[in-house]
Amino acid sequence: MPRAIIDIEGVTKKYGRIAALQNVSLSFPPGITGLLGPNGSGKSTLIKALLGLLRAQTGRGRVLEFDWPSDVRSIRDHVGYLPEDDCYVAGLTGIESVTLMARLSGLSGDEGLRRSHEMLDFCGFGEERYREVESYSTGMRQKLKFSQTLVHDPPLLILDEPTTGLDPDQRVAMLQRIRNLATKHGKSVILSTHILHDVRSVCDQVVILVGGTVRVVDTLENLSRPIEPTVQITVDGDAAPFIEQVRKAGFQVHLDEETRGLRIESIEPDQFEIVWRIASQTATAIRSLEPAVNSLDKIFIDVAAGKPRAMNSEGAHANQ
Amino acid sequence: MPINDLGYRAWAGTRMARAIRPWVVARSGISLVWRRRWLRMMLMFAWLPIIVPAMGLFAFEYSSTEPEFEQAIIQLLRGPLRQPELAGRMASNPEEARHDVWATLILAYFRYPQLFAMVILIGLVAPMLVSYDLRTKAYLMYFSRPLSPLQYVMGKSAVIWFILVTIVTVPALILYVVGVMLSTEFSVIRETWDIPLRILAASAVLMIPTTALAMGYSSLTTESRYATFAWFATWAMGFVAYQVLTFSSVAVSGRRPPRGGRGPVDWESLGVDLDRWRLLSPYHTLGKVEAWVFNLDPTPASVVPAFAALGGITLAGFWLVRYRIVARLSV
Repeated sequence: MPRAIIDIEGVTKKYGRIAALQNVSLSFPPGITGLLGPNGSGKSTLIKALLGLLRAQTGRGRVLEFDWPSDVRSIRDHVGYLPEDDCYVAGLTGIESVTLMARLSGLSGDEGLRRSHEMLDFCGFGEERYREVESYSTGMRQKLKFSQTLVHDPPLLILDEPTTGLDPDQRVAMLQRIRNLATKHGKSVILSTHILHDVRSVCDQVVILVGGTVRVVDTLENLSRPIEPTVQITVDGDAAPFIEQVRKAGFQVHLDEETRGLRIESIEPDQFEIVWRIASQTATAIRSLEPAVNSLDKIFIDVAAGKPRAMNSEGAHANQ
Repeated sequence: MPINDLGYRAWAGTRMARAIRPWVVARSGISLVWRRRWLRMMLMFAWLPIIVPAMGLFAFEYSSTEPEFEQAIIQLLRGPLRQPELAGRMASNPEEARHDVWATLILAYFRYPQLFAMVILIGLVAPMLVSYDLRTKAYLMYFSRPLSPLQYVMGKSAVIWFILVTIVTVPALILYVVGVMLSTEFSVIRETWDIPLRILAASAVLMIPTTALAMGYSSLTTESRYATFAWFATWAMGFVAYQVLTFSSVAVSGRRPPRGGRGPVDWESLGVDLDRWRLLSPYHTLGKVEAWVFNLDPTPASVVPAFAALGGITLAGFWLVRYRIVARLSV
């Protein structure tokens, strides 16, 4: 088991009587972790507390190799933080904005400028880097913030809604960049987002916060796997004889009238041969057969609503 | 697209010490304000008043050979500069009076044209420094790096200090150097060595509380025009309030200061206490402390209340900026 990049315990943050984080204990492994939760669940508070931008009432731990919260300045020096808010230094051009962040992270003048150009290239900026940031679209500002996040080459990136304001192409490109940074350059990423599709696309692990408490910590693979093995089948033509025979073989079958898809439950991979045989017998053409996965959306909605979630035997369950 | 796209590359260079990173904030801010053409023009114009004390120093140094210069200096000291006792010393022994004449000329430079220029320039530049960052949430960018709120405040303050050093400290030090160069004797350095130190001290007195006040106003709003208004209102209303409250008793009583006489008006004989309402006016409070720094304070009251007031403004102003920034980060 690789060493966790963040390991915190007993973190509590209250705003007056309202507890934004309640005794949160968490370990983030290397890789990309999706931090999910409804509005007000404490995601941004947790991120800001980790960076020392606000002070938690209780809690201690470690971020990278630095003690938390006693060494937050070192933590900020080694973390790339992309804030959710639209934020920029008024009056500066794109390249100046990134260079300013490089220099605040300790890069020298020439090196900061060189590295800033490199990061802007990486994020797809052209000549617009010489324009004032005020004239940028929301998507361009988002990419600019991403460049600023990377300019000091931090081992850990904390990205708060990084795809907000990006058009579909840019969004895909941004997610590819994030994936690329994690797989090819060894970066660990904490991706706080509401867009579950983004989480499915790039994340290895998922943490779900609700009401300031951790409800789910698990790998995406475990979360996606149904409690019982299930396959999703699409067939051409009339599926009724096929369904009847499959049921006779002892499996539960559900037909989705809209998509004409079949869902066969409690079927192990070594039993797929039965399905193929029945298809042959009933002259049914199978267009696709794939293991069914749980919907992250449904898991998220259930967890946010406080419903108990059945766990896989392999699932490393959450929290508290 | 770049001609040579390297993709992402790791970086492992040497980093600057964290302690000097506020300098990055300062440099960025100075670079931003320096782009404004009107500011560069105003800085240039703010240097023009240096001609008057420079001519005063010139006249003083040549008064031994040019009697009309001596008379001009004596009249200047008796009249506008309100130093009749020094004028008498100048008439009897110019060498002995040199230190105080120089100090008086430099203090006058601090007190009148440059204080006015300071109010105008800071009023146009400082309100933007923090309020823009609050409006555009730039503080999130700054504090995502290892920067403390205090370092941020110091970095932003340095932008104002740069302007004030440019229009006050540097010209005053140049004045001193001009005086030394105009003098025919090396002994002048021994007689006046403390004046550069007094210039630096007076600059600090001028810069620190005014910066804290301006930054405090700037941090109170995301609309810099309100901070600008509050800044000018503070100076104008303080000045008017001081003048009205201090001299209203004379006006009401019908007594009038004697006209036509040489030297300053003896307000004390008219029952006017020049120090009683001084703390209401930043202009007069600064004037009191600056005069004390140059050892030329004409009024009898202690300088301690004025120092305490400026210290209070400094602490309150910087605390307010820090509080506002930390409060924003906590949301």
